[in-house]
Amino acid sequence: MTGVEQANVLGGRALRETLRTPESLVPTLFIPMFFLVVNLGQAGKIFPSSSTSFLYGQSYAAFQLPSSLLLAASFGSAALFLVEDIEGGYFDKLRAAPVSRSALVIGRLLAEAAKSVAITAVLVVMALPFGVSIASGPIGLVLLLALTSLWAVVFSGFMQLIALKTRSAAATNSGGLVFFPLLFLTPNFVPRDLLTRPMEIAATFNPVTYVMEAMRSLILQDLAWATLARGFGVVAVLGVLMVTLNVRVIRDYD
Amino acid sequence: MTASEQELSEARTTVPGMMAIEAERLVKQYRGRTETIDAVRGVDLRVRAGEVFGFLGPNGAGKSTTVRMLTTLMSITSGAARVAGIDVMADPDAVRRRIGVALQEAGLDPRQTGRELLVLQAKLFGMSAAQAAGRAEELLDLVDLVESGDRRIKGYSGGMKRRLDLASALVHEPEVLFLDEPTTGLDPASRLTVWDELRRINARGTTIFLTTQYLEEADQLCDRLAIIDGGLIVREGTPELLKAELRQRRGLDADPTLDEVFLDATGRTRERVAGEVQEVLA
Repeated sequence: MTGVEQANVLGGRALRETLRTPESLVPTLFIPMFFLVVNLGQAGKIFPSSSTSFLYGQSYAAFQLPSSLLLAASFGSAALFLVEDIEGGYFDKLRAAPVSRSALVIGRLLAEAAKSVAITAVLVVMALPFGVSIASGPIGLVLLLALTSLWAVVFSGFMQLIALKTRSAAATNSGGLVFFPLLFLTPNFVPRDLLTRPMEIAATFNPVTYVMEAMRSLILQDLAWATLARGFGVVAVLGVLMVTLNVRVIRDYD
Repeated sequence: MTASEQELSEARTTVPGMMAIEAERLVKQYRGRTETIDAVRGVDLRVRAGEVFGFLGPNGAGKSTTVRMLTTLMSITSGAARVAGIDVMADPDAVRRRIGVALQEAGLDPRQTGRELLVLQAKLFGMSAAQAAGRAEELLDLVDLVESGDRRIKGYSGGMKRRLDLASALVHEPEVLFLDEPTTGLDPASRLTVWDELRRINARGTTIFLTTQYLEEADQLCDRLAIIDGGLIVREGTPELLKAELRQRRGLDADPTLDEVFLDATGRTRERVAGEVQEVLA
């Protein structure tokens, strides 16, 4: 069995684990939707679609949707399941099998990507009644699903690193909180050129900004290739970095 | 026959007289924040193929650390180890194909069913879906879990979990089986069931390396045993030989129990304990 096949087998098991823990999916859907509704309620009147150029004729919910999708893709529950495996001894059982060390960490990341595609699709459907449509069409929707799931791989990779290093659920959970500053140091409520200068600088240095802008372009505009290239470029670089670090950590895992 | 099937087939072949496990001056050091801790300080072991070898020692003596090094789960600071004739450090993956491992905590995924867990494990050892399903059925039958095979492991009793853990260590018919305290926490009936399983597995030619805190278990199951204390082997031999040696040395009228051999070997004699109590009282 090749390493790829092993990663698929382990990914299938991780997906089954998620499906058998539906309670872990509830916050992943509820909290992003909650933020979408609350932000729309608070700022929807300030930014009417008829007179707000950056909305391209859509509701403010369409502008907010990328934040919710990023939030949903950044729960990192896979890493908490990994800590359970470590604490319960099942991870050692897998490590004692002739399984490629890379497959042990990549399997879960594949499952997280698949899970993120499903969750993103559900959230997009849930956002439709709020006047959201995907302006870039079916290809744009596919790209939106791909970009969000790649971000999920990046973030889960980061969480898995903490899990493998600390072997602690509490530390892993705390590590996940790092995302909140990153989410808010972005053009979260208005485009980057409308931010104050310090905030604009912070957003420019924040990689999440480029992922958010690429997602937003797919929802509000036709295919904006330069923006998309920046977004996919960020997830590609961070994805390679996270997978490389995960593989390095698992190879030295004692 | 595929390459992985060929390797599995080779793994099942036990060569009589061959050493199943060899360790030479095995050392494990942990680097703490302020000091280096010597968990294992130079262990030498030779376990023949087909033996049941007991590895005893008080808590923190280095039993589990030694097992983790021999099973490729932990790096070796210095020294050498060969399992099933393969150098553990040079080719850990080849070692993994030839060993089965059931560690102190029954390493199971509570969200899978017993059958799913065994099928997954079999697939990871290179079996096709059909082969894995067949092997899972055989193993569920072996450990008497056929009726519970499709229930989630979360609902299994401690004894059922131990038996399933044992079954999952056997999916690829390993040449050497490592069991770290396989009966800890089990009721007497479940313990006897596990003992029966181990005898049956050993009778089929599998070498068993067993750590335990239950000396009766070692006495009942093991052909030979070693006692480790403070990271060093302090006694090694057959249970009978170790008892006879203590009887002769102490000039006893009858053979001592293995408990007494253990207490003598680890310096935890009843006299010393009594002395410590008196000191405290004074």
